[in-house]
Amino acid sequence: MDNPNHNAFDQELAASLSRGRTVAVPGFSGRVVEAVRADRRRRIVIRWSSVATAAAACLVAVLTLSAPSEEALNRQTLALVARDESAQLADLLGAADDLSLLSPAVEKPSVVEVLNAPGS
Amino acid sequence: MAQEEPTLPDDEDDKRLMALVAEGDDDALRLLVNRHHARLVGYLRGEVGSQATAEELAMEVFIRLHRAASRWRPEAKLSTYLIHIAHNLVLNEWRRRGRKPTTALEFAAEPGDSTQQSARRVAELDEAFQRAIAQLPPEQRTAILLVVQQELPYEDIAEIMGVPVSSVKTWIHRARSRLRELLKDFYGNE
Repeated sequence: MDNPNHNAFDQELAASLSRGRTVAVPGFSGRVVEAVRADRRRRIVIRWSSVATAAAACLVAVLTLSAPSEEALNRQTLALVARDESAQLADLLGAADDLSLLSPAVEKPSVVEVLNAPGS
Repeated sequence: MAQEEPTLPDDEDDKRLMALVAEGDDDALRLLVNRHHARLVGYLRGEVGSQATAEELAMEVFIRLHRAASRWRPEAKLSTYLIHIAHNLVLNEWRRRGRKPTTALEFAAEPGDSTQQSARRVAELDEAFQRAIAQLPPEQRTAILLVVQQELPYEDIAEIMGVPVSSVKTWIHRARSRLRELLKDFYGNE
C-alpha cells in the first residue's frame, strides 16, 4: 500500500526540483558567441603555429639530410672532372707544358758556325 | 513518478541549426543557445550548486558543441547530447576540485502567487531539498536530477551516464531512500 508520506515526499521533491529545472540567463547567447569566436581565433593561431613549426622542422631536416659529406663531395668533383672534356684537354695541355719544361735545352748555333758551315 | 514527455525543442530545427553552426553561422549558434541554455544551466546548477559555476560550465558545453558541430551526427536528441557533455564536465569539475559539492546550494525560491506563509514554506522546503541532494553520492544526485528535474527517460539517463539502465534505476531508488532519510523532519518516519 502507498505510504501517504511517500506521495507527499515525491510530489514535493518533483515540485522543488522542477522549480530549478530551467534557469534563463539574460544575454547568455551573446556571451557564448563571443567565447566561441575567441576560441575559433585561438585555434586558428594554434593551427598555423603548428604548421609553421612543422614546415621549419622539415626545412631543417631537408637541409641537414641533403648536405653531402666531404668524401661524397670529392667523389662528385672527380666524377664531374672526368666527364668534362675541356678539363681533360686542359689536363693534356698542362701535361704538355710540363713536358716542354722538362725537355733538354738545345744550344742555338753561333753566327761563326753558320758561316763556316759547308755550302754556305 | 510520472515520466511524461517534456516539451522539448523541435529536433528537426536543432538538426538544421547544427548544420548551420557547422558552417560557422554564429546566428544559428545564438538561436541554439537561446533554445537550450536555460535547461542546461538548471541542470548544472543542481549538480554543482553554484550559479556562476553552472554558467561557466554551460558556456564550455556550447564551446565544445561548436567544436564538434561538423562531426555531430543526429542520432540522439541534441538536448540529450548537451546534457551528456555537461555531465562529463561536471565529473571533470569534481576531479579538478578534488572534492564533491556537499554544501547547501545558492537557491532562491520563486514564490509566485503564494501567500507569504506558504512562500516561506516553499523556500524552506526547496532549501532542504537542495541541501539533501547536495549530500547524495554523485551518481545518485545525477540520476535523480535527470529523472525528476529534467524528466528524462531511464534510457537517456543510462546513455548520458554510460551505464546500464538497471544501474540508473538502482541509483534513483537509493537516492529517494536517502533523501527521505535526510528529510525525515519534514515527512516523518516511515
